Amino acid sequence: MQQAVRFWRSREGALILPALVFYLLVYVYPLVKMAGWSFFDHGFTLKFWRELAREPAYFKALSNTLEISVLVTVITLLLSYPLAYLMTTTTPRARRVLTVLLLIPFWTSVLVRTFAWLVILGRNGLVNNLLLALGLVGEPQKLLFNMIGVQVGMVQVLLPFMVFPLYAVMSRIDLNVIRVARSLGAPPHRVLLHVFLPLSLPGVAAGCILVFLLAVGFYVTPALLGGPGQITLATMIDMMITTFLNFGFAATLGLLLLAVVAGIFAGVSALLGLNRIVGGGAGS
Amino acid sequence: MKRREVLKSAGIVTAAALTGPFFHIRPARADKGELVVVSWGGDYDTALREHVVAAFEKATGYAVKLDAPPETAKVKAMVQSGNVSWDVIMTDAPAVQAMLKDNLLEPIEYAAVDKARLAKIPKELQQQYALGQRIYSFNIVYNSKLMPKAKHTRNWTEVWDAKNFPGGRTFNFQGGTAPQLEAALLADGVPMDKLYPLDIERAWKMMDKLRPLVTKWYTSHAQAIQLLSAGEVVVGNTIGSRGIAAKKQGAPIDVDYNQGKLASDNWCLVKGVRDKKIAMEFINIALDPKLQALIAQKVPYGPSNSGAFEFLSAAEAADLATSPENIKNQFWWNTDWWSTPGPDGKTPRESQGERFAKWMVMN
Repeated sequence: MQQAVRFWRSREGALILPALVFYLLVYVYPLVKMAGWSFFDHGFTLKFWRELAREPAYFKALSNTLEISVLVTVITLLLSYPLAYLMTTTTPRARRVLTVLLLIPFWTSVLVRTFAWLVILGRNGLVNNLLLALGLVGEPQKLLFNMIGVQVGMVQVLLPFMVFPLYAVMSRIDLNVIRVARSLGAPPHRVLLHVFLPLSLPGVAAGCILVFLLAVGFYVTPALLGGPGQITLATMIDMMITTFLNFGFAATLGLLLLAVVAGIFAGVSALLGLNRIVGGGAGS
Repeated sequence: MKRREVLKSAGIVTAAALTGPFFHIRPARADKGELVVVSWGGDYDTALREHVVAAFEKATGYAVKLDAPPETAKVKAMVQSGNVSWDVIMTDAPAVQAMLKDNLLEPIEYAAVDKARLAKIPKELQQQYALGQRIYSFNIVYNSKLMPKAKHTRNWTEVWDAKNFPGGRTFNFQGGTAPQLEAALLADGVPMDKLYPLDIERAWKMMDKLRPLVTKWYTSHAQAIQLLSAGEVVVGNTIGSRGIAAKKQGAPIDVDYNQGKLASDNWCLVKGVRDKKIAMEFINIALDPKLQALIAQKVPYGPSNSGAFEFLSAAEAADLATSPENIKNQFWWNTDWWSTPGPDGKTPRESQGERFAKWMVMN
């Protein structure tokens, strides 16, 4: 208690105050209002939660959301790890080129990129025309309005969010450690698996957390590029608000998503000792 | 100690300054002399501004601000927070029903509208809280390159027939106009004049048959037109007027008005509208047959005032959903049936809409 009081009277306490007030106003206050919509309708009520428990459709939408997000995180990680490794170990000039190549799409609007995928992956799009011209397929493949379209669209958007945290951690790994391992006789794959990979785990964790969180909230890309199997909870929330004006139920779905994601993080963090991994900077 | 106090107070002052914008929000209401009209945007708004807004501004001296789109959730937020900045909105029947449920509209002042104009507007479009401005219909819209006019789907039964008419379909998902139960029943052979009251279970059986044929369930009509233009689908259930507009711009799209479902976009007054008299005057001017004809020439939606057809050529009229040729093969969407609450207090718009969402997710 004494320590807390001392903190708030200190310089650090005063400097944090503006950010804290802003956070309270634009994050905590709307959340409280949402909880109000979810639990109150002319008096305290659990009717929205009862309705939610009764209907399997909303849990299916939730599971669609999680399925898409987990898949996006895994695919992005698999693509980003080699790329970040390349960026770390290559020449500064090549690194600059790679960075620019990553950043330019990053600066383009998500909506524009999503529409571009409609053109590229469509029945008469670039990919199908190429496949047909090369004789690899006999008819246009269905690359849109299913999980393929959604994954392509989302992975492209979220790739930088995985590459940069990975690169940030990898670039700080002391390359001497690698050299020592090699000089002690370890073959390259052992060096990668037992030396480099464990050292890069904080970056992996940070990247995965970031990508997963962003993926869970995606609305536009699954809606435009996906099919009925990719209907997300975000779509259902939007429908509740714009079509049915049912703010109470929409708030309930929003809180459900928040609770599930928070639960996932609590679980994963306990399981993997995430605190130790991510917060490793201060100590070491 | 003194330095610490100064820093702390500096922090608090900064915090207060940062929250400033949240506390002196500029009033968003229309200033006196201004009317805010909300419509769907795009070409229609351009035509509206050119003809109706110009005439209104000249007649009354008021300035008109056009906004888009008429999101019902925004109206709800506005009315419930007491911060109403929209005066007149033009929106579809399901949105009107949604807003009425939360008591967000003012009744239309029919005494303020020219009797001659009202006489030429269909009775279905003259409701207590909504007055029809333009008429459109949900039609069979198809890609005329992939499915030539000579052998295209002429009715909903043929749209459901993927064997004789192969290719993807697109129907709408979300929005108060879904699901298209009437089209499903027509596809099953129900005569057009015996549609209502809808046989719901029979319609859903037909929807089950439709599901595997649909390539993409669209969420905006622009999306449907894009899917048709790109050849992703060969036929869809969307707004004919949009198809005609695309055709005029060179897209390989055509429309068959057979078995179309007629509906209207209507003028409504937001609860708490500042000057009801001026708002009604705007609506009255918008219903002028000459102005409606001028708009219809640019954007192919049917004018609600049939007197407008006197000012349109036969060629221009042929494109419109409400021309005598086209209207005789279509039926009116029965907004009464869709807005009458059932024993559980929910209207078919709500219960069928919810059922549709669940049906879609649990595929």
